[in-house]
Amino acid sequence: MTTTFQLNGESCRFDGDPMTPLIDLLRRDRFMTGTKAVCREGFCGACIVHVESEPVPACLRPVGLLEGLSVTTIEGASQFDAEAQRLQAAFERVDAVQCGMCFPGMVMSLSEFLRENSRADRDAVKHAMVGNICRCTGYERIVDAVMECLAEGEHAGGADV
Amino acid sequence: MSEVERTIMNLPRRDAPDKLRGRTRYTNDRMDATTLHTALLRSTVPAGRIVRLNVSRALKCPGVRAVATAADAPGLFGIGVADHPLFASDTIRYIGEPIAAVAAETQEQARAAVAAIELEVEPFAPVLTMEEALAAGARLVHENWRNYEDLFEGGSRRGNVAWEAKAVRGDVDAAFAQPDVRIVESTFRVGRQNHVPFEPRVAICTWEDDRAHIQTSTQVPWTVRNVTGKVMGLPPGRVRVTVPPVGGGFGLKFDATIEPITAVLARKTGRTVMIENSRTEEMTTCLCRENADIRIRSAVTADGEIVGREATVLMDCGAYGGEQIFLTTMTAHTLGGNYRLGAVRLTSRAIYTNTPPNGAFRACNGVYNTFALERHTDEICAELGFDPIEFRRRNVLGDGDLGATGQVFEGEVLRPMLERMEALREKVGSARERAAGRLYGRATTVGTWFIFVGPSSATVNLNADGSATLVTSGVEIGSGTMTQSLPQIVAGQLGLDPRDVIVKQADTDAAGLDVGVGGGRTTVSIGAASIEACVPIRENLLKTASEMLQTPPERLALRNGRVEIAAIPGSGATVAAVVQRAQSIGGPVTGTGSFTAKNVPAMAGCAMGHFIEAIDIPVFAVHDAEVAVDPETGHVEVLSYNVVQDVGRALNPRAIHGQVQGGVVQGLGYALHEEVTLGPQGEIRQSGFETYRLPLALDAVPVAIDLYEGAPSMGPLGTKGAGEVPILNTAATIACAVANATGRRIQQIPLTPPRVLCILRGREPELSHPHISADWLQNTLD
Repeated sequence: MTTTFQLNGESCRFDGDPMTPLIDLLRRDRFMTGTKAVCREGFCGACIVHVESEPVPACLRPVGLLEGLSVTTIEGASQFDAEAQRLQAAFERVDAVQCGMCFPGMVMSLSEFLRENSRADRDAVKHAMVGNICRCTGYERIVDAVMECLAEGEHAGGADV
Repeated sequence: MSEVERTIMNLPRRDAPDKLRGRTRYTNDRMDATTLHTALLRSTVPAGRIVRLNVSRALKCPGVRAVATAADAPGLFGIGVADHPLFASDTIRYIGEPIAAVAAETQEQARAAVAAIELEVEPFAPVLTMEEALAAGARLVHENWRNYEDLFEGGSRRGNVAWEAKAVRGDVDAAFAQPDVRIVESTFRVGRQNHVPFEPRVAICTWEDDRAHIQTSTQVPWTVRNVTGKVMGLPPGRVRVTVPPVGGGFGLKFDATIEPITAVLARKTGRTVMIENSRTEEMTTCLCRENADIRIRSAVTADGEIVGREATVLMDCGAYGGEQIFLTTMTAHTLGGNYRLGAVRLTSRAIYTNTPPNGAFRACNGVYNTFALERHTDEICAELGFDPIEFRRRNVLGDGDLGATGQVFEGEVLRPMLERMEALREKVGSARERAAGRLYGRATTVGTWFIFVGPSSATVNLNADGSATLVTSGVEIGSGTMTQSLPQIVAGQLGLDPRDVIVKQADTDAAGLDVGVGGGRTTVSIGAASIEACVPIRENLLKTASEMLQTPPERLALRNGRVEIAAIPGSGATVAAVVQRAQSIGGPVTGTGSFTAKNVPAMAGCAMGHFIEAIDIPVFAVHDAEVAVDPETGHVEVLSYNVVQDVGRALNPRAIHGQVQGGVVQGLGYALHEEVTLGPQGEIRQSGFETYRLPLALDAVPVAIDLYEGAPSMGPLGTKGAGEVPILNTAATIACAVANATGRRIQQIPLTPPRVLCILRGREPELSHPHISADWLQNTLD
């Protein structure tokens, strides 16, 4: 069986077992290692990608269910997604990164959150992060960076005007 | 501007842009289409004898290229004692122990071949707890313990006691017999903690020019090199280790584990071989922070003087001694730290059990001994009617006081830090109102830790473009040392922009010996070696520039990438021009430096079986927390958290703040909900993220931080390591605060809601520790 879907804006054809988790197609077939496989059970959030603009753990999504859909990974978002880029800049600015393995997933979850919640408070940001675990940073600085992005959005007129 | 001043800055991390974009290639991102994958046959029984092992069927399975067993790696390795084989050969000692490894074209093929290996085991009754291991007539986990090679002199060991360290100073019996003292006794127990680094243990080996080249996610490339050589019976120089960015270590990656297996398989196949632990393997064979049992007793006068103290600490090393053998040393400096003591005797023992081996974890040994010591201190205060903060202010170690092994502490550090905490508490204010009807508690604790010094080396090459290349065996595990403090230090010495200091990835072929990234040592040890490496370079640059500028060297300054006439900013020549000139006269401009422990003296005869008798660089911490305990559910919420940390000198304050925040939250997990339990066969039950409860964003609190600078340190520019210590007294502080909130003794962590409910309802059984004698001498070997 063949599955065809859009991967970072380009057509991607997969001929293997449709139950193959998307994470394995990305990492093992395409050597696109930006998406991190950490728990492989949907708890850690390190492998979040966007499927039709929805944050989804790539470990839990069989490739066979992607027929005709559009998938964006951290590699694509870093190039094309304005919110992801703002977050990346903010994480650099506040020195949030440590070992770094959770960050591609953090960027993918939070970029979608930023688009949808331009007036979130700190508590809402933390709630949005419960599906993304970080073992190094103790989270607060990540939240600081998201709050900076939200404030920027507000100064820039915001989407909710 | 002095060298020190221009070294201090909030330099951002150079690795952040790639890490944020998924471009960083950690070890487990480095497979390619030609890589062979590996699966391990692991023991499913905790103890037994291998009766038959036949791999011939596995070798015939599709895609299989090689199978490795103990016959390929007969050597034993370890710390202090060589007790650990790479594969179980005759005896099996824990569930999960590797017995064989298969390399195949795909992971699935490797797994299928493992299932085809024929294994027959005669099981033994396992020894699962330290109590069982110490019981009279207990089966020996290592029957042939006597035959093991001793790798360190002076320790005592016998049977299931893998190692014993003792510290004895003064006449403790006399102190306890004084008529004017009250004797307070406490017992404690702590469970294991799993590191859960996001990158599991993973290694890739190629066999090149008849040598192993291992790329691995390690904290200590030189240990991987030496252990691989030892188990394979090769000179360690036949092994080269390089280290890509490491996706978290926290101490887990301080031991070599799977790396030598890749070397065995690479040699057999001539191919690139990768082993990556699955998350389940990683969780269930994690070299956890050890579980420990503690009994402590103090004799205290009515005035609050601690005239005598004795304690026994049992540390479960699991099936093999590993890091715990070394860590027995730390009890003297952690449980025996913090306070001025009259007479003291402490014994710390690593005990073998048929459970997965334990290892090192950030502030290893220190976290639970500080928990025990600070709870014990609060129990003393409660029994004798002292105010806990006043008692600490009065009794903490100060200038000229003796440590447990008789080392003389220099400088007043903890007392002024307690004052700074008072000020920080006032500045931040109380979050008490957020307790809103729940039980409220607050506590302040102190902690003593150390910087693990020891050998490091550095080479600095100055390049013709004015940049410098720093070559060391240091590893970037996420702490930022390799991307922030070290380039800052080199740049500060040479007047360069730290962005012009290239930091070479660790490579044992390129850099000299190093005992690894851990113990807060990298900035101190590699930093000191780097400064030494810069000395001949500075001399060379100043001498060459002196001739170029017709100015004596003492009137020149290295700054802003130039060699300038000191009095005239912007004068002189660029470093690049001076390097080019120097190269043409005398060849490349280069320097090397070395560093090792200075070995501060202990008192003769006080420390037995200790790997470190006195601590070269003590580090202190004061923590304070407010908690709310829900009386209905037992849930503990941390309302506020404050830290005053002794950092010597903060070279990158923002980076240190990040380490403190992260370390405290990791400590909150240990204190409150990270629980490892062992099943009926000694197996680790928490095999994934669903059952092992890591701190989430909603569990975190913003930590208020005051960095205490200026305490004595032999570290370069007055530094001390700052990344390890933030976790040190987190469990202590939370436990003391929960005790204050509930009015109950806290003897065990983690303080999960079920445990806290039991404590609140008086149903938590008293810890009796029958396996630790009330007669201290009975807890020692000789």
